[in-house]
Amino acid sequence: MSTAAARAIAKKRVSFKDISRPGDEPLCWAELDDLMGVPYLGEEPPVEPTPQKFVEKYETSLDGYCCIGIPKPQTKEEEDFLVRRFLSGLEKLFTSGDSWTFQQVLRLSFDYCVKCQTCADACHAYIASGRQEIYRPTYRSEILRRIWKKYFTPEGRLLGGFVGADVEVNWRTVTRLAELGHRCTLCRRCAQRCPIGVDNAIIARELRKLFSQELGIAPVEILEKGCVQHLRVGSSTGMNPPGLKDAVEFMEDDIGDRIGKKVKIPVDKKGADILLIHNAGEFLSWPENPEAFAILFDAAGISWTLSSEPVGYDAVNYGLWNDDVELARVALRHTQIAKKLGVKKVVIGECGHATKAYVVIADRVLAGDLSSSEIPRESCLPILWEIIRSGAIKFDSSRNNFPVTLHDPCNMVRAMGIVQPQRLALKAIAPQFREMAPNGVFNYCCGGGSGYAIIQSYNFPQWRNKMGFRMKMRQTLEAFKNELDPEKYPFKYLCAPCSNCKGTIRDGITHYGLWDRFRLNYGGLVELMVNAMVDIDRPFIEYDDFH
Amino acid sequence: MDVTVFCLAWISVVLFIFMVVYRFVKFNSMPLHLRWELYPLPLEPKHHYGGSFMEELDYVRKPRHHERIGGILDMASEVFYLKKVKEYNRFGMWPFSFSMHWGIYLLFVWLFLLVVEGLFNWYAIAPLTNVCGAVAFILGAFGSLFLILKRAGNEELASYTAPVDYFNLLLLLAVFGTGLIAWFTVPSYFDVARSYVAGVIRFQPVSAPFIVLLNFLLFELFLIYMPFSKLFHYMAKYFTFDKIFWDDILNVKGSWVDKRVTSQLSYKLTWSAPHVVPNKTWAEEVEFVDGRDIAQ
Repeated sequence: MSTAAARAIAKKRVSFKDISRPGDEPLCWAELDDLMGVPYLGEEPPVEPTPQKFVEKYETSLDGYCCIGIPKPQTKEEEDFLVRRFLSGLEKLFTSGDSWTFQQVLRLSFDYCVKCQTCADACHAYIASGRQEIYRPTYRSEILRRIWKKYFTPEGRLLGGFVGADVEVNWRTVTRLAELGHRCTLCRRCAQRCPIGVDNAIIARELRKLFSQELGIAPVEILEKGCVQHLRVGSSTGMNPPGLKDAVEFMEDDIGDRIGKKVKIPVDKKGADILLIHNAGEFLSWPENPEAFAILFDAAGISWTLSSEPVGYDAVNYGLWNDDVELARVALRHTQIAKKLGVKKVVIGECGHATKAYVVIADRVLAGDLSSSEIPRESCLPILWEIIRSGAIKFDSSRNNFPVTLHDPCNMVRAMGIVQPQRLALKAIAPQFREMAPNGVFNYCCGGGSGYAIIQSYNFPQWRNKMGFRMKMRQTLEAFKNELDPEKYPFKYLCAPCSNCKGTIRDGITHYGLWDRFRLNYGGLVELMVNAMVDIDRPFIEYDDFH
Repeated sequence: MDVTVFCLAWISVVLFIFMVVYRFVKFNSMPLHLRWELYPLPLEPKHHYGGSFMEELDYVRKPRHHERIGGILDMASEVFYLKKVKEYNRFGMWPFSFSMHWGIYLLFVWLFLLVVEGLFNWYAIAPLTNVCGAVAFILGAFGSLFLILKRAGNEELASYTAPVDYFNLLLLLAVFGTGLIAWFTVPSYFDVARSYVAGVIRFQPVSAPFIVLLNFLLFELFLIYMPFSKLFHYMAKYFTFDKIFWDDILNVKGSWVDKRVTSQLSYKLTWSAPHVVPNKTWAEEVEFVDGRDIAQ
C-alpha cells in the first residue's frame, strides 16, 4: 500500500485514542485532492511532503506539519517530564489562582458540549482541509475533555470509557496536543453557531496557555521572539528605541518623496490627545501604512504622538493567543507609557489582535488608575471614519476607481463589533467597493489568526497557505470574479485593516501567484484614504508594486 | 414500590432544587473572567448588523445602554426554536432535538399543572393538562428515540457520542416511553396520574398501576440525575451567553468590576514555565520582565 493510500485510510479512521498512538506516522495528511476546491484558481503549487529532517528531530506526527518544533524526548525522564508537566498544567487551568482569567469560560465550554457538531462547518480550516477530522473544532476539545475526565474526575476513575474517560496521556499525546492547539486560528466563528454557547476556541487557547505557562512550549515567534523579545528589547520585531528613531526618520523622508510635502511625525509629545501605537511590523514591512496615518492625522489637525519607549512603539500583544502572564505584562507597560505621556487616550493602528488585546481583554487586567475609564483605549477605525464624515479632509473617490473588497479582521469585528466605520469609509472613498460573502461579524478568518501570520518556522507556512488562507482566497476571488482578467482590470485591492491579516494575505498571494495572475494586491484602509486626498497631487498607492 | 416512588417524589424535587441552586451559585461565584464577548451581541442596540459601542469615538465617556429585550428574544429563539441547530446543523438533528426539547418542556408543564390542580382543586384546566401530558410523551419519545438512532447511525456523530450520552437519551426515552405505554394501557391514565400527584402533594399515598409508578419513578430519577449531567446545559446557557458572550461591561475605576479585578490580581499563581515567576500575585507578576532574570 502506498503511503498516500495509507494516509487516506488514516484520515477516515482517526479517533481520539489515536492522539496517543506511537510512531511518527501522522494522524492525517491532506494532499491537494483532499482540499476544498477554489473556483477561478486553476493550477496551484503542490503540497510538499514533510522534510525528513523535521520528522527525525521534531514532533510532526499530528498532521505532518511542525509549528512549534518540539524536539522528541531522548530519555524516559524527558518523556515523564512532559507528561507530568502537562497534567499539572491541565489542573491549573481550572484553579482560580492560576487561571481566574478564563476559568469560568473554560469550565462551561468543557462541561456542556453536547457534540451535535453544529459548529463544524463554521470552521474555515476544517472545510478547507477537506474536512480532516483532526481539524474539526470539537476534536481537540473532546480529547482534552476525555483526558480531564480520566485523570481528574471521580466519574472518570470509576466509570472510565462509559463517560468517555478513555484517552491515555503519554509523551506523544502531549506533543501532538501541543501542535493541535495550533491548528485553530481562534477566530471563534464556531462559537457563533453553538446553540449552548460552547466556545472551542477558548479551549484551544487555554490548551496553548497550558503549554506556554507550564512548559514554556510555544512557537518561537510568539513567545521567545514575540513576547519575551517585546518586553526585553522593546518590540517583537527586535526594533529598539534607536531603531524606531531611524524608522521615523525614514518615514518622514519617504512621505516627502511620496506626496511632495513634509510631515513631521511627533514622538513622545507630552499632553497629546492621542497616543497612536502601531504594530511595529508595519514600520518594517509596510511603512506606507504608518506614513498614511501620519499624513491623515496631520492634515486633520489631530493632536497625536508616537512613543519611543520600549514596548510603547509596538502595539502587538502575543500573549492574547497563549499566555495570560505575558498578555498582562505588555498591557501594563502600554498603559504606564500612556499615563506618563499624559495623553487623553490610546488608539491602536490597523492591527486586529493588538486592538482586541488592549481594548477588550486588558480591560479586566488593568485596574484602578489604569482602568479603561482612566486611560481610554480605542480602535483606529472610528477615528478614520470620523475624519471622512466630519469633512476635516477632502477626498476624491474617483482616485480609487478600481475594484476593492474588504476583509473583516476577526478580532476587531467578530470579537469587538466594529463593523460599520470601515464600510462607511470605503463606501465614501472607493466607488467600486463590494462586499465579499460572508462578511461582517460572520466573516471567515484570513487564516493567519492567533499568530499564524508571523510563524515562518519549519513547514508551517504551507499549512497556513493551503488550509488557513484557502477560504479567504476563495472569498476574494469570488468577490472579484467579474474583474479577474489582469489586462482589463490591472489593479484590484483587498483591503485588510490589520497587520497580521495583511501578512497572511501577502504570503497567500505570493504562494498562489495571485498578483501575477490576477493583479490582486492588498493593503490597509489608510492607504486608500491618502490615495484619495484632494490635497495630494499624486497617487499614494504604487499600482505596480506588490510587497 | 409505591412507598419508594412516593418518597422519592419529594426527595427528587428537593434534591433537584438544591442541586440547581448549588450549581448556579458555584458557577456564579467563579472569578470574574476577562472580557470574551462575541458579536452579534443581542443586548447591543446595533445588534441587527453586529455592531457595538466600540464603533464610536470616545465611547468611554458616552452613556451606554443594553436592550434587555434583544437578549430575551435571542435566548427565546434558542430555547423554544433551537434556531442555531435549525440553521446550521447539517446532520438534520433539528426535528428530533426540537421534539425532544418540547417534550421535556411540556412534561414539566404537565406536572406543574397537575400540582396546581391538586393544590387548588382547579380541575377545570384538566383538559389542557391532559393535552400537555399527551403531547409531551409523543414529542419526547419521538425526539429521544430518533436522536439515539441519528447518533448511532452517523459515523461522525457516533464517534463523538460516549456511552453516557446514549444513557442520557435512553433515560429520557424511558421516561417518555413509559408515559406513552401508561397512556395507552391504563384506562383513564391521565386521571390516574392526577390522583397520584394529588396524593403526593397531600402526603396521602395513592396506589397506581405498575407502569404509572414506573413512569413516575423514572421521572424522579431523571430529576435527581439531571443537575449532575450534561442535561444541565439549560442552566449553563445562562452563563455561556449572558455572563460570557454578552458580557461587555467596561471596567470603570471604582466600579464593582474594578473591585473584583483588583481583588483577583492578588491571587497567587504557580505556573512553572521559565518566563513566569512562581508564587507571586498577579499584580506582582506583571512587574517582572522575565522569570529567568530572577533565577539568575
